[in-house]
Amino acid sequence: MRKPRELAGSFTWDKGVVLFLILATFFSSYASPYFATTSNVSFVVASIVEIAIIAIAMSYLIISGEIDLSVASILSLTSASIGFAFQNGIPFEQSIAIGILVGTAAGFFNGILVTVFGLPSLAVTIATLALFRGLCWVLLENKPVNQLPREWIALANENIPNTFLPWTIIPLVILGLIGWFVLHHTKIGRWTFAIGTNAEAAKFSGIPVAMVKLGLFGFTGFMSAIAGVIYTLRFASASPDGGMGYELSVIAAVLFGGVSIAGGVGTMWGVLAAVLSLGVIRSGLQLAGFSANALLVVSGSLLLISVVLPRITDYVRSQKPWGSTQPKKWKRKNEE
Amino acid sequence: MRELPVFLGVVIVYVGTGLLNPIFFTPAVLNDILFGVAIVAMLAVAQTFVIVMRHIDLSVGSVVGFTSFLIGDLSSKGFSLIAVLAVALGVGALVGATNGFLVAYLGLPSLVVTLATLYIVRGIFNEVGKGQTIVESMVPRELNWLGLNHLYIFSYLFVIVIVLMVAAGLVMRRARAARDLYAIGSNPQAAKLVGIPVARRIFLAFVATGALSGLAGAVMLARFNSASTQSGLGLELLVIAACVVGGVSIAGGTGSVYGAVLGAVLLQEILLAIGALGIPQFWQLAVNGTLIICAIGLDRYLSTRTKASTIMGYSK
Repeated sequence: MRKPRELAGSFTWDKGVVLFLILATFFSSYASPYFATTSNVSFVVASIVEIAIIAIAMSYLIISGEIDLSVASILSLTSASIGFAFQNGIPFEQSIAIGILVGTAAGFFNGILVTVFGLPSLAVTIATLALFRGLCWVLLENKPVNQLPREWIALANENIPNTFLPWTIIPLVILGLIGWFVLHHTKIGRWTFAIGTNAEAAKFSGIPVAMVKLGLFGFTGFMSAIAGVIYTLRFASASPDGGMGYELSVIAAVLFGGVSIAGGVGTMWGVLAAVLSLGVIRSGLQLAGFSANALLVVSGSLLLISVVLPRITDYVRSQKPWGSTQPKKWKRKNEE
Repeated sequence: MRELPVFLGVVIVYVGTGLLNPIFFTPAVLNDILFGVAIVAMLAVAQTFVIVMRHIDLSVGSVVGFTSFLIGDLSSKGFSLIAVLAVALGVGALVGATNGFLVAYLGLPSLVVTLATLYIVRGIFNEVGKGQTIVESMVPRELNWLGLNHLYIFSYLFVIVIVLMVAAGLVMRRARAARDLYAIGSNPQAAKLVGIPVARRIFLAFVATGALSGLAGAVMLARFNSASTQSGLGLELLVIAACVVGGVSIAGGTGSVYGAVLGAVLLQEILLAIGALGIPQFWQLAVNGTLIICAIGLDRYLSTRTKASTIMGYSK
């Protein structure tokens, strides 16, 4: 039998999240006969797509030691731009392209403020959260655009023929695979981790820190824009108040997925499992008759557990092996 | 004087708008600004304690909404004003103590901890509130009176905030424990080395922020004369924005409660100036966002000490 210390040594939070996802699925299927139905699975998947797509980009950003609170506003700005362009007679396909361009530009705008002007990303993106949302109101005032082409709306609301999965899962799977591959198997991914671990050291070892960060902010803008397109189609409306409060849901999911807010730690599959498990729990709790409030408490508690538990395993790891007189060998990672 | 730029901003916007539209100089408009700003200003005073330590408290929006609901709910059930205020203070302090314990003694990042308590408190609030709404008849008479009356031309709500601000300002200038918060925000390791009980200070600062935010629930109830489970939703980011505009640097170690209140006043003033200048209201949020960016840029320009590496408001 393995000693507790070794068990703790092999445990990482992202594995815990996957385990949690499996347990949550079992719990939900057990709690309600309606959970494992095809229509519900389709619904759960459709409801997490936007959050998941933004979370992919947010993982990079938080791993690199930065943060973007303006993602929900970028989502909404994309939506508003699409509505505004379409309202002014531009074909819908081109309107979508314009929306994605605007969203990506918004991301780069954050990036320029952070990298070129050296401003703190937390404060900057609180400001652009207001600015981008404000631009939505300027573009659309309080008149949502609803007359969007029916075939596009159908695309976002219907399942792939002969399956129980919505069409919107395709961009999520593609972007998720790319996000996973780039983060864990390419130079850019390693640079991201290096910058988050120690930006100073990364700079001295020749990594173009500012360029990478700028790129990551632009990437986050792009992904938020993609989420914005899906959001617009799914709700068949471009309104100035779309996606309110999504930024905190995204960040909560990323942190729950094992990404350290201090930077330098995290895995893509941990994050995606976290987003999915939050969707599963929400559905499970609802079907089991709990109110939406229970979900708030559960999300908050999971977030706390996700930061407390690594501390405990660190502590167990830092104890000397049982029955040995050896001094402490394992030190806490963040020890001052 | 880090408050000088924001003070000039307040004066310039006020005088400039007034010259273009004389209605802006009437006491009614001044009162609108000061009455409207009371909640955010009070929360900004509370938030200053944690931001100067390079920490952050996102849970205030949930706390202030919850306590404003509790005050109305309990007093309609016959509890005295003192009792319900004590409950508001207690609930705020309890949430603050939870945040403080997790951040100070377990060393967890405040952004994550307070994001979690934001959700948990909101969830409990919704469960307790059950979609109920506090209406005017349930608001304690004294609070109702405070919301409606003026000391000369100043709304009593703003007077309360000013008294609190001056008290907090004196404490942060004179009391050693509060001075330590600046030291912690400037350099946590150094603060520890010179013998400051860092963990205890962080804990108490979070308790103070929570308690004040809890009390702000009374101001919120007096201001709106109603409360629902939507109360205080999203207020936390507005409060942090007011602090940042007021020169309370997110990188810690600088800023004062006076700046935080001025920042809140400037944001509110611009909101009304937009209306007075005939600019469509839809521009308001965009102008606010631009203003915050300018404030952060100015802050960066003025402080040579602020390093970009202290970006996220906490140390590793």
